[in-house]
Amino acid sequence: MSVEEVTQKAQALSVGDNEERKTVLTDSKDFDLKHPLNSKWTLWYTKPPVGDNESWSDLLRPVTSFTTVEEFWAIQNAIPKPRELPLKSDYHLFRNDIRPEWEDEANSRGGKWSFQFKVRNPPIDDLWLRALLAVIGESIDEDESEINGVVINVRRSGFKIGLWTKSVRQAPLSKVGAKFKAVLQLDDSDTLEFFAHSSANDKNAKPALVL
Amino acid sequence: MAKYTEEELLQLKPTYDVAVNFDVDAFKAMIAEVAEHHEIADLFHQKARRRSSHHHGVKPKIKAHKPRITTDDDGWCTSTRKTSVVAVGDDGEPSPAFVAQETLRVKPNNKNIASSRPADTRDIVADKPTMSFNAFAALESDDEDQF
Repeated sequence: MSVEEVTQKAQALSVGDNEERKTVLTDSKDFDLKHPLNSKWTLWYTKPPVGDNESWSDLLRPVTSFTTVEEFWAIQNAIPKPRELPLKSDYHLFRNDIRPEWEDEANSRGGKWSFQFKVRNPPIDDLWLRALLAVIGESIDEDESEINGVVINVRRSGFKIGLWTKSVRQAPLSKVGAKFKAVLQLDDSDTLEFFAHSSANDKNAKPALVL
Repeated sequence: MAKYTEEELLQLKPTYDVAVNFDVDAFKAMIAEVAEHHEIADLFHQKARRRSSHHHGVKPKIKAHKPRITTDDDGWCTSTRKTSVVAVGDDGEPSPAFVAQETLRVKPNNKNIASSRPADTRDIVADKPTMSFNAFAALESDDEDQF
C-alpha cells in the first residue's frame, strides 16, 4: 500500500468532515492527518553505567512510543544520533510492548541477525536510519511478521546493528537476512550472522545461519 | 498490512521540527551527563595509566670492562682488569691514589650495653686481685726469672 493510498484511506475515514484534512504532504508544519504504522513501536535506551550500583534494569528504560510515520520522524529528528551517543549506549526499537531482552516471551524462541561494523568510520547514522525505516515500514518483513525489533550497540570495538526475530525458522529468516544485508549496504564479503537467543550464553556457539 | 518503502517514508519526513510526546530535553541531558562522566573518566585514565610498554626489548647500555687476557710464551694466561680512573703524575707514572682519611669519634652508647656491675656482690670479692706484689717475698724467692 503506497503513501497515496494510505492518505486517501485515512481521509476517507473522516466522514462528515467537509474541511479537507491536512497531511504532512500538503502542509509540512500544521498537519493533522497522520500515516498509521502497522504496530505501535517503542524506543528504548540503554544508559551506560556510571556507577557500580546500577543494575541492568535501571539502565534499560523506555523512551517513548509511536504509532504513525509523523510521530516517528518527530522523535527521530529530536533524539541524538548514534554517533552522538556515549560508548556502551544502545538504542532498541521494539514492536508493541516487547522488552528488548531474551527473557521476554516474544523473544525467547527467536534470535537475531547481527553485523558489527569494524571499518573506521561507517556512515552509521544513515545505516541506522535505513534499518529503522525498513523495520517500521515493514518492507524488510515477510507476510508472517518475523521482526520483533532492531538494536544498535555503540561500542569501542565498533557499532553493531542487530535485527531481532520471533522465531528461528530458516526459510523466512533467510529472506529477511538477505533484505537486511541490502539495507545495511553490506558487500558480498561481509558476513551477516544469525544466532538463536538460546545459544546466547554459549561463547563457542556457531551461527545458525550465515549470509 | 500497510507497508511503506524507504522512499515513501522519506517523502513523509516533515521539514519542520515537530513536538514529541516525551521530555526530550531531559533525555538529552541524561546522555550529556553520561558523556561528560566518560570524558572525565578517560582523562583520569590517561593520566593514571601505566607507562607504555613500547620500550620493551631495548636493553639499557651497561658498559662492562672486560678483563684483558694476555698469554705469555709458556702458554700461561694472565687476566688484567682495566682500572677505571688512574691519576697520572708529572713524570707520567701513575701516582698513588689519594685516600682521604677521617678520624671518627665514636661514642659508645652505654644505654644499650649491659651493665658492667656484677649481679652478685660476692663476685666483687672474687674479682679482687688475690695476689699483690710483695717485694720481700720476691727477694726470698728462688725463681730468678720472675722479673
